[in-house]
Amino acid sequence: MAETQPIQRSGVAARIEAVLSHPVVFSLVFAFALGWVIVYLTGNDPGFAYREMYDGAITGSGLRNTLGRAVPIVGMALAVSVAFRAGVINLGGEGQMVMGGLAGSLVAIYTPGPGEIVIPLAMIVGGLTGALWAMLPAFGQTRLRLPILITSLLLNYVARAVTGYLVRFHFLDDSVTLTSTQQVPQTARMPRLPIFGGVSLSLVLVILAVVVAWVVYRRTVAGYETQMAGFNGRFARYGGIQVERQTVGVMVVAGAIGGVIGTHMIIGDAYRFIDGELVVSGLAWTGLLVALLAANYPPMILVAGLLFSGLQIGGLAMQRNADVSWRLAQVLQALVIVAVASRLAFDLFRRRRRGPTSGELESAGVGEV
Amino acid sequence: MFDQLFDAALLESVVRAMVPILLAALGGMICERAGVFQIAMEGMMLAGAFAAMAGSYLAVSSGLGIVFGVTAGVLISLMLAFGTVSRQGDPIVLGIALNLMALGLTGFLLPQIFGVRGTFRHERIDGLDRLPIPGLSEIPWIGSVLFDQTILGYLAFLLVPAIWLLLFRTPAGLRLRGVGERPLAAESLGVSPTAYKYGAVIASGVLSGLAGTQLALGNLVLFAEGMSAGRGWVAVVAVMLGRAHPFAVFGASLLFAFAEGLGFRLQGNGLPVQITDALPFLVTLIALIAARKRFARLLDLTTGG
Repeated sequence: MAETQPIQRSGVAARIEAVLSHPVVFSLVFAFALGWVIVYLTGNDPGFAYREMYDGAITGSGLRNTLGRAVPIVGMALAVSVAFRAGVINLGGEGQMVMGGLAGSLVAIYTPGPGEIVIPLAMIVGGLTGALWAMLPAFGQTRLRLPILITSLLLNYVARAVTGYLVRFHFLDDSVTLTSTQQVPQTARMPRLPIFGGVSLSLVLVILAVVVAWVVYRRTVAGYETQMAGFNGRFARYGGIQVERQTVGVMVVAGAIGGVIGTHMIIGDAYRFIDGELVVSGLAWTGLLVALLAANYPPMILVAGLLFSGLQIGGLAMQRNADVSWRLAQVLQALVIVAVASRLAFDLFRRRRRGPTSGELESAGVGEV
Repeated sequence: MFDQLFDAALLESVVRAMVPILLAALGGMICERAGVFQIAMEGMMLAGAFAAMAGSYLAVSSGLGIVFGVTAGVLISLMLAFGTVSRQGDPIVLGIALNLMALGLTGFLLPQIFGVRGTFRHERIDGLDRLPIPGLSEIPWIGSVLFDQTILGYLAFLLVPAIWLLLFRTPAGLRLRGVGERPLAAESLGVSPTAYKYGAVIASGVLSGLAGTQLALGNLVLFAEGMSAGRGWVAVVAVMLGRAHPFAVFGASLLFAFAEGLGFRLQGNGLPVQITDALPFLVTLIALIAARKRFARLLDLTTGG
């Protein structure tokens, strides 16, 4: 967003104003300010809490954990962005991740053989399962005209039930009190790299995926066509793009990414599929917020994903040391998006130079008029 | 088999399951009529449930619980109205973000204020009393099902015809629908779309707050993290299926509540909880397929054609 701020008033004040009037920066400041108030009102020291959060995210094992948690967050953000760019509102990331995660982890648990074979196989099966699950709402929209927005979301609850049932009644590990599968054997676990104190190989894979997405978005016909459909479906259809086929395509890709990420969460992180664990972590939804904050732009997805991952890992340290629940991180993340979506940054700094804001242009132009 | 399944107790649990869904759906319906796409009911309901529990705990009074529950719903609805109406933000993005904010905030406040995680129950939390109507409540079957509700239960059912009257038989209702269907025409006649849209969103905040209150103080007397459990989304579907008509929305809510109540009963008969939990959502999906010609507006909104 190129905000041209005339530097009439000199120096620092103008520069601060220029930075703050960037919608994302302003929204972050807004969210943290509101978070400050919330922590203060619940009887804790916000300064101390934020300091613990910051330290916890980047010092000690915090940096490794932040990088580790960025894997599913960035991955799920990528899955969301693939669909969102094309105007497909896929809210089913959670279900796609959970279904793929269970399928992939079962392969990893029950397939004998060396890791070089079992690990890729588990990822492929996980990805395929996620893709199949995502095809249900995709065909629901293209064949039955049911909005993906609703069906993909409802299927999340069905996925919870299906995986919960399978784990409880077919793949239960009796030796633990959790509702959980057996552990993934050592050989079938995602290798760790000897950097940053042992981050998962998946981190490299997810960064590669971001680069691939960037190239596809910018340099390929498919990337161009999906974006065009996202901007204006009717125009894209008029231009000869088969929007229905494209809808199924992006859902398959999004579901596959979700399934692979789900598999990673088991064979690279938790080492057993515990019923409800992937849901409670809220990773799919954090990914969705990251994609929104980054406006589907892959390099920004990486940055925003690391930021939100740091918030959560730092939040856990804050919970340990400052007695402030890590769920504050979730509140901050959501508030940032509320602020961005409400265009809070506009106007506040521009009331003096009165021109039409983008919101006003929209309401005067396209809109529902 | 069937006479074991279908009895007054089943109908009672159906009606109990219906009250929160119906309250939230009626609010969503008003928004739909005013042309505001409302998918934040899930979050409003959850926030309402938490606040109602907190208020009731604070004063050992379900009355204050209702006040708190409504206030929480209204606060979130104001954020939604500001974002979508005043700032022309994307209603889908705002709805999702507000739902997640409510989930995070209630999950944050529960340990910070009450020192527990997961579920909080306490004898100070005063539940909503059931108010059996003398005479009527003794009618076999129907009496215990319909005339032994909490105050919010009665309210939910009375609101169905009341909102129908408001929407279709009063000038204010006509203007509200005008704002939703022909905003420019309404504006040129001196009707302020902003005021009516704000009113509709705030009304849905009140109703979703009441829905949450019924969950935390009526159906159960406790607060559990994420206890709205998708009911706000089911309400969204109920509005779609009912084409934003009060009596049809009532019917759709009844259908989903029936699935929930039946699931609850089957659970008692030994069916795994995982299956019965999925039942309302499966029924919702099947109902969507059955009524699939109805979603042109939403499809236009999300796909641009």
